[in-house]
Amino acid sequence: MAIVPGGGTAEPAATTVKTLCRMCDDRCGIEVHVQDGRVVDLRGNDEHPWSHGRLCVKARAGVDVVHHPDRLRRSLKRTPQGWQEIALEQALDEIAERLLQIIDKHGARTVSVWKGEAVGFAQQEDLARRFIHALGSPNYLSNDSMCWVGRFIGHKTVLGSWPVVDIEHARCVVMWGANPPHSRPNLTQRITAARRNGATLIAVDPRLSAVARRADIHVAPRPGTDGALALGLVREIVRVGAYDREFVRQYTVGFDELAEYADSFTPEVVEEETGVPAATLRSTARTMCAAEGRLALYAGNGLEHHENGVNNIRAIVALNALLGTPGKSGGALFEAPLPLRSLLLYDELPHTELGPLGADRFPVLYDVRQECHTMTALDAVLSGDPYRLRAMLLTAANPMLTNPDTARVRDALAALDLLVVRDLFMTETAALADYVLPAASFMEREEVHTHHEIKVVTLTRPVFSLPEVQTEYQFWHDLAHRLGFGEYFPWDDETALDRWLLEPTGISLEELAAHPEGMPYGAPRRDGPAPDRFASPSGKVELASAYLGDLGYDELPEYRRPAYLETPDADYPFVLITGARQLLFAHSRGHNVARFSDAMPAAAVEMHPDDAVALNVEEGDTVEVTSRIGSVRAPVRVVASNEIVPGCLQMTHGWADSNANLVTHDDRFDPVSGFPLMKSVEVRVSVPRSDGAGRDEGGGDGAALDQGGGVHGGSGGGPGGVRGGVA
Amino acid sequence: MRIVVTDPDSCVACRDCEYACAFEHGGSLRREASRIRVNFYPDERVCVPLTCLQCADAWCVEVCPAGAIERDPQTGAVTIAAARCAGCKMCLLACPFGAIHFDAVEEVARKCDLCGGDPACVRACIADSLQFAEVDEIAETRRRSVDARLRTTLRRDREDV
Repeated sequence: MAIVPGGGTAEPAATTVKTLCRMCDDRCGIEVHVQDGRVVDLRGNDEHPWSHGRLCVKARAGVDVVHHPDRLRRSLKRTPQGWQEIALEQALDEIAERLLQIIDKHGARTVSVWKGEAVGFAQQEDLARRFIHALGSPNYLSNDSMCWVGRFIGHKTVLGSWPVVDIEHARCVVMWGANPPHSRPNLTQRITAARRNGATLIAVDPRLSAVARRADIHVAPRPGTDGALALGLVREIVRVGAYDREFVRQYTVGFDELAEYADSFTPEVVEEETGVPAATLRSTARTMCAAEGRLALYAGNGLEHHENGVNNIRAIVALNALLGTPGKSGGALFEAPLPLRSLLLYDELPHTELGPLGADRFPVLYDVRQECHTMTALDAVLSGDPYRLRAMLLTAANPMLTNPDTARVRDALAALDLLVVRDLFMTETAALADYVLPAASFMEREEVHTHHEIKVVTLTRPVFSLPEVQTEYQFWHDLAHRLGFGEYFPWDDETALDRWLLEPTGISLEELAAHPEGMPYGAPRRDGPAPDRFASPSGKVELASAYLGDLGYDELPEYRRPAYLETPDADYPFVLITGARQLLFAHSRGHNVARFSDAMPAAAVEMHPDDAVALNVEEGDTVEVTSRIGSVRAPVRVVASNEIVPGCLQMTHGWADSNANLVTHDDRFDPVSGFPLMKSVEVRVSVPRSDGAGRDEGGGDGAALDQGGGVHGGSGGGPGGVRGGVA
Repeated sequence: MRIVVTDPDSCVACRDCEYACAFEHGGSLRREASRIRVNFYPDERVCVPLTCLQCADAWCVEVCPAGAIERDPQTGAVTIAAARCAGCKMCLLACPFGAIHFDAVEEVARKCDLCGGDPACVRACIADSLQFAEVDEIAETRRRSVDARLRTTLRRDREDV
């Protein structure tokens, strides 16, 4: 199908366009059916090797999203009389003028960009980074200050990089804090393939997640105690002598120190700390060892949002070295990426002397990913410390629902001199902006995507286009040219950019366009020895990290007890996990799709049945969950006794009416990654007596209920509280 | 012929299949409209996906007084012609697997029609628990899986010694 620039499709007849779904980050192959310039249906592309034609329910709603009646079609400007529609060119002119004024008066570093993921996931990030550095500021912000980078740091500091986890060929698959059926659907197919070949599956999660339903062993530690569990596994594997001696001798540093540190984590100590029975720890260790290195250990997002998150992840990643997984088929594979050209300007224009926000406070976060820290940046807007951040260009992120402490996010965004938001919809964040620009969806863009797990590169295709609605590239290009640094955005459009990016790869844009099922790149996967050199400072697997030690952090992946266990507070007796993924939604996205909201109309507070009895609440009753910073109400969902650890609650984020981030903290962080405390939040639960009344804040009947329903309660002979035995 | 084969050992009860079926047959995501049903028993950690097996000797066809249930010559699916269905529910009682349900709004019986030969549930099964397979492939697939599990068990027994 021919696409006419700036207009509709050239051929009105029915056509099919093969591209990738972007309703989440798994990027399944899809065939989009178009009639008269409108998407009418989509199905899985059987030929795409990542998804094999299978699609989860979110994918089909792509049709609903791209033609949603609420989609933004025109640029909007805030005026005293409300939103005013203005022409795109005028909006860009005005934004450029205001940016130039701010830069002139306060310096370029007071301008920032914030990358979200509602419009894309490939070049979008690097374009935003390129733009802000070309503008003269180091302040690139993104959702990555609380997703993915915590795990990246955990892998990088131990293994030198984050390897591909070869699930399909594993003899043992470990899903630790990850629930692929809801978050990365296609890993589920691969787990099934491994299990059909005899692999065992271990799921580690305080909840019985969807993937844990199939696990041979479901290990359910208390939130944030994963490091103790991992160190217990280290001790057990060393004790029985089942570790890969040759690998440890040849490829690691710090083994003796780690083994010595882990020695106090006996199965009994681990049981006290984590709630995982000693026998389960032993059988888990035995099952891992039986894989003889063909162990696919996947660390999920559940591990990141804790005060000791990075150390916990490091301890888990260290198991790879003990079990000798690197280089083995079914283990951890170190694959060279597709050698695309880089858009980054960190060598040319690093701007580190300008003080990237958060780089002093969380040097590792900045050092390994050049990621500024969104919570520090929001603080800087309000406090002016270390300097006042004044302008933000935010593309398709919704921190009003996804960053911790929503009240503070609102204050900070409202205090900016200039907030520009590009998105598909008038989100809670866009509603605070000075300018809102309509953004092209994933079906209106062309990007180069790699599925590194299977070493396949795919070009996404524009299916249709809308007037006045820009692609991500066009926006940065047009603004850069207005601001006087157009030379950094010389490509006419996404197509020209893609061609430039692909040049070093030996794969042409035309070839890629002719292969909507993607093209393989690089050498076929090998099964051999570990890499000669790991990409760590020592070239070895670092079971103890001198790099972290030099920065004042623990060299060893030491375990620190979460605050809710270390200093229990009777006023906040429950521990709240936020952010378990739901099938129908991706973070704050999808809630405005009527089919989805009909199928799942409200948020829920997941609760153990013993806690529900103690609180005298039943399924569907509205409860109020209160932390030190705020409260949120939602209906209770009473789960089975093995579906959540007693004393622990779960609320998924992204719901505007029951926003879990009203209670999460933006001032308690993992010291290495700077990730906020979002999955072990101390809370209490009360029952509002009726609307407007009974919002007890510590006194009255509700408080009495709190006492009864707490983690200490144990509800008479029940399985005991979260804190059982460790206080 | 091909039927929708379910493998409970791979099912994670994500319910993508139920949503896909409901969507295919009416455009909503109301799971109660789905013709495939997944039962999940958390205490036992068991998931049971169930759908019509398109019986060779289908009792629902036999029992239907309206002659509304017949076999699609193309796909082999046992299908209900809604226009002829009297809503008597005899087929619900006759089906030994409970694979037919009653649509109380339209007052007709509903069952899997294999989506005309490309079942939406299978395309939505991200766990590969559902397959649209030739009947004679089923036993072979199951044998391979049992063989692999047995091998793992035997290997572990050997290592424990």
